[in-house]
Amino acid sequence: MTYSGSKMKNTPRWLDEFTNRLLVQLLKHFPWLAERWAKSHRFVEGEGIPWAPLRKPLRDSCIAMVTTAGVHLKSQPPFNMEDPDGDASFRAFPTDADRTDLTITHKYYDHSAADRDINVVLPIDRLRELRDERVIGGIGPTLYSFMGHIDGPHLKTLMEETAPEVAERLVREGVEAVFLTPT
Amino acid sequence: MGLIQRTIEAKGIPTIGITLQKEVTKRVRPPRALSLRYPFGHPLGEAFHANQQRTILLEALKGLETIKDPGTILEPAYVWRRHRFD
Repeated sequence: MTYSGSKMKNTPRWLDEFTNRLLVQLLKHFPWLAERWAKSHRFVEGEGIPWAPLRKPLRDSCIAMVTTAGVHLKSQPPFNMEDPDGDASFRAFPTDADRTDLTITHKYYDHSAADRDINVVLPIDRLRELRDERVIGGIGPTLYSFMGHIDGPHLKTLMEETAPEVAERLVREGVEAVFLTPT
Repeated sequence: MGLIQRTIEAKGIPTIGITLQKEVTKRVRPPRALSLRYPFGHPLGEAFHANQQRTILLEALKGLETIKDPGTILEPAYVWRRHRFD
């Protein structure tokens, strides 16, 4: 999502940072502000709704997760937080990655809870439990992560390059359903 | 997130996403969503509340089987920090 505050030009960096942090906390504690913003903001509105039915019961299906919470391996380059239009790239990492190797780069939401327990934004442990209990058939080999703050020219990159690339990789990996989490 | 979800679904993989912004989701129109009135940064609830995280995840996954109408938004009535997940 886009906060207009982040687009201010010619303002000192500390003021930008301060304004952003204030917005993040305001929107966290007063979600109706975000709803009002949503009603007045222009989005890429969906034309029609794509639809692919689940072919097999959940207990036989391979499930993967995709998040826009800005999660990545500490060894991977962080998302670009300097560009006010965001970063349309994605990070892919193994589903069985060690939790201590993960981090979050995202300044447009308060991820203090997710820093302590990644399951708050990416429920890796919960998904493994469901697999072990045979509630789902399996887990996709790769987790895909974006940062959910993409606007301007990067929307085209997302829609024409990076999102289709992730979709194709999921198909190649034999994934049969995807669960997505926002920030 | 809805745009990425629509792209994946269009490739033939069924999807469901959590949304904390129903107004945005109603306009982006992903195929299936589960809406929660939770603060940003908490799509699966609170840290170390495994039952809560599991319930939300499972509710969403079940939506893959139960939702028949494209654009459906499930709205479980979980009140932030009040609902008991036993």
